[in-house]
Amino acid sequence: MPQKPEDAMEEEAEAEAAAAAAAVTGPVLGFWLAARRRLVPDDAFFAAGDLERELLAKHVALDLSEGDRNQLEKMEVASTCTMFCPIAGCGAHLDCLEDFEDHYVTRHTASCSVCSRVYPTSRLLSIHVSEAHDSYFQAKVARGFPMYECLVEECGLKLKSYKSRQQHLIDKHQFPKSFEFFKKARPSQRQRQKSHRQTAHKGEETRDNSMDVDRKGARATNWRYRPKQHDHKESKESECQQTQAKENEMEVEQKIDELTSAVSKLSTADSTPTNVTFGHRRSRGLTFVPRSIRQNKQASSDPSGIEK
Amino acid sequence: MADGSASTSPPSEYPHQHHRDAIKSPVHNTAASRRREQAIAIGKERREALMRAKRVCRAPLSGSDEAMVEEGDMVIDEERADLEARTAQAVEELKSALSSQGKGAQKRKIEVLRALRRLLSQSEVPPVDAAIKAGAVPLLVQYLSFGSSDEQLLEAAWCLTNIAAGEPEETKSLLPALPLLIAHLGEKSSTLVAEQCAWAIGNVAGEGAELRSKLLAQGALWPLARLMLSNKGSTARTASWALSNLIKGPDSKAANELIGIEGILNSITRNLEKADEELATEVAWVVVYLSALSDKAIRLIARSSVPQLLIGRLLASENLQLLIPVLRGLGNLVAGDGYMVDSVLIVGNSITDQALSSLIKCLKSDNRVLKKEASWAMSNIAAGSFEHKKLIFSSEATSLLIHLLMTAQFDIRREAAYTLGNLCVVPAGSANPPNIIVEHLVAIVNGGALQGFVNLVRSADIESARLGLQFLELVMRGYPDGQGPKLVEREDGIEAMERFQFHENELMRNLANGLVDKYFGEDYGLE
Repeated sequence: MPQKPEDAMEEEAEAEAAAAAAAVTGPVLGFWLAARRRLVPDDAFFAAGDLERELLAKHVALDLSEGDRNQLEKMEVASTCTMFCPIAGCGAHLDCLEDFEDHYVTRHTASCSVCSRVYPTSRLLSIHVSEAHDSYFQAKVARGFPMYECLVEECGLKLKSYKSRQQHLIDKHQFPKSFEFFKKARPSQRQRQKSHRQTAHKGEETRDNSMDVDRKGARATNWRYRPKQHDHKESKESECQQTQAKENEMEVEQKIDELTSAVSKLSTADSTPTNVTFGHRRSRGLTFVPRSIRQNKQASSDPSGIEK
Repeated sequence: MADGSASTSPPSEYPHQHHRDAIKSPVHNTAASRRREQAIAIGKERREALMRAKRVCRAPLSGSDEAMVEEGDMVIDEERADLEARTAQAVEELKSALSSQGKGAQKRKIEVLRALRRLLSQSEVPPVDAAIKAGAVPLLVQYLSFGSSDEQLLEAAWCLTNIAAGEPEETKSLLPALPLLIAHLGEKSSTLVAEQCAWAIGNVAGEGAELRSKLLAQGALWPLARLMLSNKGSTARTASWALSNLIKGPDSKAANELIGIEGILNSITRNLEKADEELATEVAWVVVYLSALSDKAIRLIARSSVPQLLIGRLLASENLQLLIPVLRGLGNLVAGDGYMVDSVLIVGNSITDQALSSLIKCLKSDNRVLKKEASWAMSNIAAGSFEHKKLIFSSEATSLLIHLLMTAQFDIRREAAYTLGNLCVVPAGSANPPNIIVEHLVAIVNGGALQGFVNLVRSADIESARLGLQFLELVMRGYPDGQGPKLVEREDGIEAMERFQFHENELMRNLANGLVDKYFGEDYGLE
């Protein structure tokens, strides 16, 4: 007589965390729902079987070689899954789902060669590199030049500080309040243990490990951006840059800490997750690219020239 | 069903199994190579032509008068222009014969009809357009008038059948003929005439929903249903095929009406049990559409012996043409009503074991349709009770599904994913998040499925990606000793989830971000 499993997982002390998780993952989309799925006769799901029925009945099928069959099959699959790249701002036409992976690796993994953060467009990557790794950039900022570009390409506006750029994005381009372009990287295991042991020295710890890619092998990245070189000898420059970069990182990250606490005090009435945490992802800068970017991008630079 | 009886008949598109062999030794070698050339150039139009639910009638119906069967070779070496000219002329003669009187008039009418019919049935690509342009349809309607001889009705209906088998506009041109065609389905007609008219109507119904509703409005359903009960195999088969085209929706009215006709379910049952595979195939398609569209039909069919018969056919047959509708019918029944899983496929009954075996047989098949639709059916059974999940889990289905998840095309992978995931959650109560069947989850993950689910996360298809994320949630939450996140990380799951940061779908972004935040937070990796 089969019994319900005793060892079914239950949420125990993490009841609150579970509730929070539920809010994050959501009852609608978040959890696995085992349910019967009924399909109507003209659902695309049945197209292959319908085609097979007619081929078999019409006997022409007997004249189709293996290659023809494969081609027919491919066409049938393609017709049901032709689509557009779902990465915000891209809209590239994909012939079939299999193409998506190639497309993604080619187009959306622009990676910073300094800190390995990955961005979906080369423009965003170059903005990141300037802001995070370029001492020249920081120098200009320090002298009061507006250096922080608006992330919306067509806007063209430049702001004087990271924070004001942030505000501009929120005010003028409807970015969510929780948006954060420069996210703290996820620290390596060693670093995490270190920082937990020395919570008092949080800000002063060298962060040279904080950019480590914490996984077993480097992912193939097809596109790398090299930091700007400015009239100095290469080695000296890069060495300088490294240190400067680190200092800048620390500075920026302190700013981020401030920003984090500031933002977390804001009430977010929109649908962004309630626990917005800023330090746990290795790389990605953007959490949200609103429609305005997408639309603008499509209008100006849709590479495939195909309407969405 | 293979037999040598068809070697002299022209190659046929009739749903007769044995005529298929004729094509293997084509009458003209050039015919074969020409067909091959056409087949190789599979363009979109060609594919659409192949998809069409219409069938050209190339040979006389079985039981036809000897005079109709002739030494007709496929006329494929005709130049198109020549063919069209001959067609136009044939229609002209049709017209003039109509008004002829006296002795020999009837004979002449048959001759001119035959001439047109041959052009429309023996040509590789029948000159339908030319015939229509020359005004064939209204003339043929005249030839269908009441009181005409059977032979005349037969030839005229045959011409109309093949005209209706063409392009959408060509099929639509049959509108004026519909009332008469339907009328000749009646019980006063000879069986052959009724059968040929049914074929023509089947082609019209196969065109689209609009024509279907016209046919239904004009009362085509009942006489066809009556024909389906015929003792003559080919008649029952043609009528079943025509009905499947007629009721296929999307409107469910016809399906509901059909199941309400007395004797239909009995006839279906009888045929599924006893009929040859050709007839059973067409009857199975009727079951497919009944079970897809009519709740009333599902209720009645589920409580009949049809499920057992479908399962029996699924197990016993190796005929792909039969397996497809039988499998789908079963799938529709399981999907459409909980009764199937709750009360028919009770764990412990032999019907359930057979059902599982039959689905496993399909999973093992080479054919992608069978694999896909069997996975779908199985996923719906796996959404049933805990006993069902245990039954499926402990069978060879699990490893087959994992293999499909890793290696098959995306639509099959998705169905396999649904099934595997369904096996891992306790039947929904009000528990949210769902409780996990740890034993199943562990085995499935250890069986290598995790990589497959991570691949789904990377898919451009939202539904697949969502499934992948939801399964990862199960793993990260439910895998024992908190090992879930590590396992996910090992399969590059974090990277896959992080892709959603730039995804245009906000719900997906939130889902993925939430998971990363929850399971790969600052505490991650600390021992």
